[in-house]
Amino acid sequence: MLSFIVADSLFGPFFRKYFYYYDSYPVVIQIAVFLTAVAISATIIAYLSIIFRRGKGYLTDVRTRKINTFIDNLITDNIIFNEEILAGVPPQDVKLDLEPFQKQVFSQGWVKQALVDRLIYFANSFSGDRNLLFKRLFVELELEKLSFNKLKSFNNSTKILGLVELTSMSVAVADVLILPLTNSRNRKLRSEARIAYIKLSKNDPFKFFDDATEPLLLWDQLELFKIITTTEGLTIPNFARWITYSTNKSIVSFCLKLVVHYNQHAAIPSIVKLLDNKDHYLRVEAIKCLGKLKADDIEEKLIAIYNNQPLNCQIEILKAIGRFSTGKQIQFLRGEFIRTSDFDIKKNAARSLINHGRAAKDIVQNLIDTATADGAIILKHCMNPLIKY
Amino acid sequence: MKYGVYIELFGEFYEGTVFIYGTTLLLIYAFLAIMSLVAVRKFKVLDSRVDYTLLLNSIHTPGISVIAPAYNETITILENVHSLLNLNYPKYEVIIVNDGSTDDSLEKMIAEFDLIEVDFAYNERLKTKPVKRIFRSTNLAYSKLVVVDKINGKSKADASNAGINVSSFDYFLCTDVDSILDRDAIMKLIKPIMEETDKRLIAIGATLRMANSCVVDQGFMQKVVMPKQLLPRFQEIEYIRSFVMGKMGWSTINSVPNVSGGLGLFDREIVINSGGYDPNSFGEDMELVIRMMVYCVNYNIDYSIRYIPLTLCWTEGPSTLRVYGRQRSRWARGLAQLMYAHRKVIFNPRYGKLGLIVMPYNFVFELLAPIVEALGIIYYIIIIILDAVNWPYAILLLVFVYSYAVMISTLSILWDQLTYHTYKTWREILLLCFTAMFEMIIYHPLIVFFSLKGYFNFLANRKHSWGNMQRQGFGQAAQTRAITASN
Repeated sequence: MLSFIVADSLFGPFFRKYFYYYDSYPVVIQIAVFLTAVAISATIIAYLSIIFRRGKGYLTDVRTRKINTFIDNLITDNIIFNEEILAGVPPQDVKLDLEPFQKQVFSQGWVKQALVDRLIYFANSFSGDRNLLFKRLFVELELEKLSFNKLKSFNNSTKILGLVELTSMSVAVADVLILPLTNSRNRKLRSEARIAYIKLSKNDPFKFFDDATEPLLLWDQLELFKIITTTEGLTIPNFARWITYSTNKSIVSFCLKLVVHYNQHAAIPSIVKLLDNKDHYLRVEAIKCLGKLKADDIEEKLIAIYNNQPLNCQIEILKAIGRFSTGKQIQFLRGEFIRTSDFDIKKNAARSLINHGRAAKDIVQNLIDTATADGAIILKHCMNPLIKY
Repeated sequence: MKYGVYIELFGEFYEGTVFIYGTTLLLIYAFLAIMSLVAVRKFKVLDSRVDYTLLLNSIHTPGISVIAPAYNETITILENVHSLLNLNYPKYEVIIVNDGSTDDSLEKMIAEFDLIEVDFAYNERLKTKPVKRIFRSTNLAYSKLVVVDKINGKSKADASNAGINVSSFDYFLCTDVDSILDRDAIMKLIKPIMEETDKRLIAIGATLRMANSCVVDQGFMQKVVMPKQLLPRFQEIEYIRSFVMGKMGWSTINSVPNVSGGLGLFDREIVINSGGYDPNSFGEDMELVIRMMVYCVNYNIDYSIRYIPLTLCWTEGPSTLRVYGRQRSRWARGLAQLMYAHRKVIFNPRYGKLGLIVMPYNFVFELLAPIVEALGIIYYIIIIILDAVNWPYAILLLVFVYSYAVMISTLSILWDQLTYHTYKTWREILLLCFTAMFEMIIYHPLIVFFSLKGYFNFLANRKHSWGNMQRQGFGQAAQTRAITASN
């Protein structure tokens, strides 16, 4: 109702002036006329926006292309074909000529930003000496100040941009600046801050694992996994620390993946404790991890808990036994294959039996000969090299 | 005299009701426009910084099964299977379900991809027509390919269910074998699933566009061109409005009613537990999504269904009135069937947003809309005959509805422009805006007519022939090919 009163006070005079009989219209028609005016105005604004946006986009493209070509030429002359680097001078001793990058044109904000973007692009494209030169140039031109200013912004998108720039150019950032951002409510900011922390923190790059209250999403795990496994000089801790003590399930799950990647057998006792965890998804992760680590010492324990587990854990236990391939549980697998009517259990028992190779060859053949038609097809399915899953 | 008063009262009541109905619908459109704008802008900002190559190089990338039913696709089957095998994704399988084709498409695939019949453990979790044979390739280059040969089930649903039974991964992407997928389609669709925080994302879709007039080579989109024919061009506007504005708007409040059969990524476990696609449904994609939502509510699963405003799939829209009419009648019949089947969910608070938003909206503003419009036209004719029309008011109301409809379509085009410039030239944009002006006059009456025909078929329980829809191939207008009535 209030909106109608406000609308009438705003637009009433207009309609009274141009629609002489407006006041005498029934309310329904008055609303229709008002909404028609809104619709026509919105349509015209939409047309103008399309024209404006496309025009602006075109001009920005032209302008950016021009300045990028200019910057690329400067970079090519001064960094890529730097004479001292070509002569074998170590990058830290190369004297950088900053003058071409301090021309009047670079005083404009958007040009400076274009320079930052191009430097990041080239730093990501080159490794070795030239990569170090790009990073030196970034710092010596004091472009990192722009990035730090972005970190102070209230706008999360700007903060993210600042973090990405600093991370890309490996500029050291105080823990106190990044750490609070690693638990930000903003998912993207949180993710970038965690990446930045691991890459840039000089003290304890994994410290945020201790305090992470927000979940580590699967996508974030993908990004962090890449950063952790590709960053040079990173001291890899024993991830058992978080597997044992972290209350954040996503951190525990992520650490299990890292344990497998770094083959940390020292973490096995902590992982075994997870088998008593109430969360069956976490138990699945733990069993998978033990299987991949080939921790065959716990094979008996897995067999012992097998019957009390839900289907997904049972399947993972069967897979783990297949990975261990100790030969001690062939009869167990055979028994499961014969006993169960569940397709997935049967299939995984068959696959694990076949994984045992020669040790289970006779048993597998015997099963093919004696099993039901469906059972035999499952075995043949698992034996067929053309069928991967 | 007394009789005339009743008629007048009825007239006033009818006009008032229709006005409230229409205004509510327009307000919902306005709401969707605002919500979709927020969603589209947010998506664009976040998506611009995403490094999708992470998925390509990670050992933790989730596996995806791509399921594409095919029926008598001999002309383009090889090209399309090649394109599905060359998507940018490291861990996926392509399951082509040959739904009892009577042409030589299976033989062509066997020869082209070095297929041999294998002993495949087929687990029929979803009931389908019998699967005859399953093929795998002996050529390592085609190791992702699985071809299922089954008895014709007279529906895409039956073939899709067979594909789901064969699939190995937790998520499957359902498409049509004749649809053109973006090379990065899987990467773009899996990311929101990997980013979902506290809900289980059970289905996700993306924008579909008209492939008519586009330049397609080896099953991949080379150049997007505005449909040259009028009917597909109207459908293009309709798709933009439906996907970029409608579904993106609903996505912001987790009330997406449907994930298109042309392109959708689904949670396999939920689909199987919900019973899979219904082969008897005429709108099997929407029916499945509604049933998945009902299942999640019944089993206390906090679900979500999302849309992303990226065009990841192009499909050929009907270019003749006859084919178009059959398609739309089938869709309308499917909607009526769906509403009847799930009538207990409508306005049922136990089903949360599904019961109070998704189903009521689709019942009141999708199912009933053609009926209300048809009654309005009849009412107009009667009052014209009775000379009871207030012409100035009638014209003002018509102008109101017309201008609002043009506004909504134009805003959809603008939102689409805000994400990615699908059309590169000014001419195409102008043509699109210009076409939007005639949509209500030329195209909308067709939708109403064919929808009513579909409702009639539903009520009369008339038999629907699953005959072939004749479509033009891409860049091969001289040839026509038959495809299953999947749209």
